[in-house]
This record gives sequence, structure tokens and C-alpha cells, in this order.
Amino acid sequence: MKLRTKLTLFNTLSKLVIATIFVLLLPTLIKNINQHYNDSRLLKQKAKLLQIIKTQGIKDYAEASYYTPLKEDYVSIDLDTTAENLDTIKNEKRILQGDTIEYRILSHTFKADNKKYLLEIATSLDAINGTTRPFQNIAFALLVGMILLTIIADQLYSNFVLTPLGQIIKTKLIGHKFPNFGSYEKVQTSTSDFEYLDISIHKMIKTIENTFQKEREFISNASHELMTPISILQSKIENVFEQEDIADELKTRLLEMQRILNRLKSITKTLLLISQIENEQFLKEDSVPLRELLQEIYDEISIRLQGKNIHYSVDVPENLVLIHVNKFLMFNMVFNLINNAIKYNRENGEIKVAAMRESDCWTVKIIDTGIGIAAEDLPFIFNRFKKLRASLKQDSFGLGLPIVQSIAAFHEIRVEVQSEKDHGSVFKLILPDSLIKI
Amino acid sequence: MNVLVIEDEKGLADELEIFLNNYNYICEVCFNGASASEKIAVNLYDFILIDLGLPDYDGLDLLREAKKNNPEAICIILTARAEVYDRIKGLDLGADDYLPKPFSLLELQSRMQAITRRKFGLKQNLVDLGGFVINLTDRVISYGTSEISTITRKEFDLIAYMLLHKNRTLTRSQLSEHIWGSIVNDDYDSNYIDAHIKNIRKKLNAFAPPDWLETVRGLGYKIKVNT
Repeated sequence: MKLRTKLTLFNTLSKLVIATIFVLLLPTLIKNINQHYNDSRLLKQKAKLLQIIKTQGIKDYAEASYYTPLKEDYVSIDLDTTAENLDTIKNEKRILQGDTIEYRILSHTFKADNKKYLLEIATSLDAINGTTRPFQNIAFALLVGMILLTIIADQLYSNFVLTPLGQIIKTKLIGHKFPNFGSYEKVQTSTSDFEYLDISIHKMIKTIENTFQKEREFISNASHELMTPISILQSKIENVFEQEDIADELKTRLLEMQRILNRLKSITKTLLLISQIENEQFLKEDSVPLRELLQEIYDEISIRLQGKNIHYSVDVPENLVLIHVNKFLMFNMVFNLINNAIKYNRENGEIKVAAMRESDCWTVKIIDTGIGIAAEDLPFIFNRFKKLRASLKQDSFGLGLPIVQSIAAFHEIRVEVQSEKDHGSVFKLILPDSLIKI
Repeated sequence: MNVLVIEDEKGLADELEIFLNNYNYICEVCFNGASASEKIAVNLYDFILIDLGLPDYDGLDLLREAKKNNPEAICIILTARAEVYDRIKGLDLGADDYLPKPFSLLELQSRMQAITRRKFGLKQNLVDLGGFVINLTDRVISYGTSEISTITRKEFDLIAYMLLHKNRTLTRSQLSEHIWGSIVNDDYDSNYIDAHIKNIRKKLNAFAPPDWLETVRGLGYKIKVNT
């Protein structure tokens, strides 16, 4: 889940929880506030009444009740014959002209003219509660409005704050093909953490790029520098070999030297080729029908198929043409795959090359019935100079698959390998549509 | 034929000279661009072999001068700088061929011959070997009136290469390099040449024993032509 989504979710949820708690508490809260307010009003009225009685005397008010026709509130002053003194505010029922009504009643006993009176000031609960609902509604509306406002504000702000992070991910991490990162563009941000992240990623990329570049340069220079001495040695051996007065025994040894030199030459040439591919020194402007390419490879390789009596078949649409490729490289890539399929095959085995449309992509599969690759070896087969136990018997130096991989990467072709030990391997080339015309 | 070798590596230049003299070319050697430039301006050559990586001169400039002063000369670029750009540029400037180092001297000689043939249009290059007629121009081999069509392109390449270097033993390495030199793979020691020769012998034997195709025990193969 993205950070932004997480933050939004948390914001919304936390606010919903707060709102729910508040809504649940609201009725009790409002009721309490209302009651509290009402009680203090009753107390004020009591103080006023007592003040009036004190100044004007009791007789005008004794034994009297006052209420409005709606009976929402009343005031009564009666003689009190009980012994106890009252000073309470309670909810009680009263019968007024035959109507039973629940009131909030302030009861207070006081003495005037040596008599004890009971004062009751009351407001009907209906009247009190009448104001509760509108209060609740207003409070609820306000709450919802404020919560919506904060959610929107949070959302906008987190979007704003997180934008640089999104940019860093989009421009620095996604869509960059290792090891080609392109140029560095600073991501604009005032958040120091993101600034640090951006710079650190940039530094790391630079370091990787430099290391890669140095390795490439080294391989390229080293192989170039090796070419000249190899060339001299080769010429010298060839010239000595041609001299007529040389004994056959010496010639055999010269031949040995030539073979070893050839090995050195092959390795150097292969490394140089890989470094040239990685330095993108090849053009991708050729078009070649796949069938034609396979036929050319077959012409080169049929002698090797014969050697092991391998049954070779091709199942490729006739009109399938590879475009925007380098023919020399494509030839070498497929050649190496088929050559491997022969090398690691058994006598009377089988090799099949098939091209087909598979889940929206064109794929070319090279299927063999060879010794296969052990599962634990699979991750290493594309490593340079990696020789697996199974291949030790072969006269190879472990650069066949690295060539394949370099050429494939150069053409943006994906290589997938499925293999079962002792049963065979399938090398699958997944070609982007830009390389195919049909 | 006159050959100018422009090569700053003395070791290689010497070997080129020895080899070309052996093949009856008249050879001059320059170790730097300045002296080569002088020679190109004064003398006429049939072949100019240019190493692109000279210490004092851009090899491509030298090629331009050569094409200007010696328009008839066949120019072959020899280089360890196997940059694709150089190759295209060199061929654009009129080089006739491009041989990346390290190369086999035999390969160089066969390229020189091939270009000569192409340039001067030597027609009907026929060689008779014990009844087999090898037509190097049309690349066919026939016996009597029948053309031997079973011989593949690779097999013909081998025969033609050995014929070009007739009476010399060619090693398996040299033959492999000639027919598979442009393929980059990770085999360094293969006996496919033996299989090819075996196939060639089998195919020719249906007509007559090809005694001229000799195995030199422990060394390689050669085509023997009595002169």
C-alpha cells in the first residue's frame, strides 16, 4: 500500500472514530448542559423571589400559585407544615388542573412572619427538552462540517508534502533500467528528509554507474591491449610453422601453442564483444526474417548436429521478421543458444526452435533434450566465467550465456530459462513487439 | 606486387614482411604515420595495409591520403581498435577490407587475393584437381560433366581456402578461424573441421578418390597440387 493511501486511510478512520464517540456522547452531554443551565436559572429566580418577598412582605404572595396557561412552568408559595427544611432541585410529577406533567422543580423552605413556607419554582421537562434537540442537531452538523474540513485539509497537505517522494520514486527508481540511469535532476522539496533521500539515491546511483563504467572501460582497454600481442604471437607461430626445415615434432608443439593462443584469442574477443555491446557500439537497423536467420545458423551448425545425430526442427511462422535489430548480434545470440543445446544434448537427442505468440508477446523457444541444469545452478548460468559442474567436460570457458544475455539486454529481449535436470532445458526469448513485423 | 605495411608494432610488422615476402610480394614497412605519409605521396602501391592505431597519426587520415595519392591501391585496415564506428568510417572512406586484430596471416592473404580477383574481374578461375574441376568464381565443384551439388557452402569454403594455400599444411585452428571466425562463441577446441573433411571426402569419393586432399598426421590438412 502506498504511503499516501495509508495516511489518507488513517486520517479518515481516526476522524470517523472521534465523530462516532462524539455523536454517542452528544445527547447526554447536551441534556446535562441544558439541565445545568436550567438549574442555575431556577436558582436565580429563587434568589429574585426571595428578594421580592423580603422587601414587599409575604402576604401578597402567600398561598398562591402562578402558572401560564400552557403550564410550562409555575411558581407556588405554600405554608409548610412539615418539620424538615428543603433546598433541592429534582424531577417530580405534579398534577395541574388534571394534567400530570413532569417538572424540574426547585423546592426551598423559608421563614417569613414566623411561618414556614415552601417555595417551588418549576419548569416542565418538555420545555427543557424542547431545546435539547435543536442543540444536538446544530452540534452534529457543526461536527460533521469540521471533520470534513479537516479531512480535506489533511489530504491536501499530505498530498503536497508527499509529492517530492512520489517524484523521487517515479523519476529515480521506477522505469530505470540497470545500469543506465540517465542524468540527475534534483527533486524540488523543502522537506529535508526527502532532500536527503534524493541526494543519497543519486550518490548511490553515481557510485554504481562509476563502478560499472570503470569495469567496462577496463575490460574494453584490457582486451584491446591484449589483441596486439596476441596478433604478434599468432603471426610468429604461423610464420615459423610455414618454414620447411622444421621437424614434425616441433610443428606439433607449435600447433599446441596455436591452440592455446586461440583460446586466449576467443576469450579476449568475447570479452571485447560484450563490452562493445554494453557500450552500445552496435546499430540496430537490420531487418531479418527469423526463418532466414535460423537457416544461416543451421548452415553453420549442421555439422555439430550431425556429430551427435540430433533431430533438429524449426516451427517458426514464415512471415515473422525481426526488425530494428543487429543481425550480427542476433545471429550470435541464437547461435550460442543452439550451440549450447547441442553441446549439452545427448546422442540422438532433439532440439526444437519454436516461435509463437504467448500472452501478448512473441517468444522464441529453444528446447533441448539435454542434461538440463540443476535448480541450484540456475541463478548463476549467466555469470561470466561461471562453469557449472555439468559443463566442465566441455571445451568452453563460460562466456556463451553471458554473450546471449548481453545481446538480449541490448535488444530489450527477456531471457527465461526452465530446466529439469537430466531431461532438458528450455531457453525462452521474450521479444518486445517493437522488434517484430508480421 | 608492391605492398606498403603501416604498422607501429615492430614485432607484427616484421612478421607481416616475412610472410608477404614468402608469398612473393614486394614489401615496404613503415612504423609511423609520418613516414607512411611520405611514402604514399611518392610511391605507387598495389596494396596498403594500414593499422588505425598509430601513435603520431590518425589512421583514417592516412587512409584519405592513400586514396588520394594511390587511388588504384587496395587498402586494408588492420586494427585492434575494433570499434564499429571505425569500421563503418573506414569502409566509407574507401577501404577495401577491414581485418580486426588478431588475424591469421593466411586470412590476410586470402582477403588480398579475393579483393584482387574482385577488382580485376578474373574470369573463370578454374582449377583441375585429379579430375575434379573447382570453379572459384561460381563456387562449384564438378567431376567430368556432373556438378557435385551435395557439397555445402561451408565445405566449399574449406576447399577454396586450402586451394588458395595449396601445398601448405593448414592447421585445424587456421581452418576454423577462416570458416567460423566471425562467430563469437565459447568453444575453443573443436573437431568439427575433421567432421567437415570427412564429409567432403565421402561426397567426392562417390566420383573418384580425392587423393589430393591430404591429412597431415597430427598437424592438419593440405591440398596437394603438382606443379
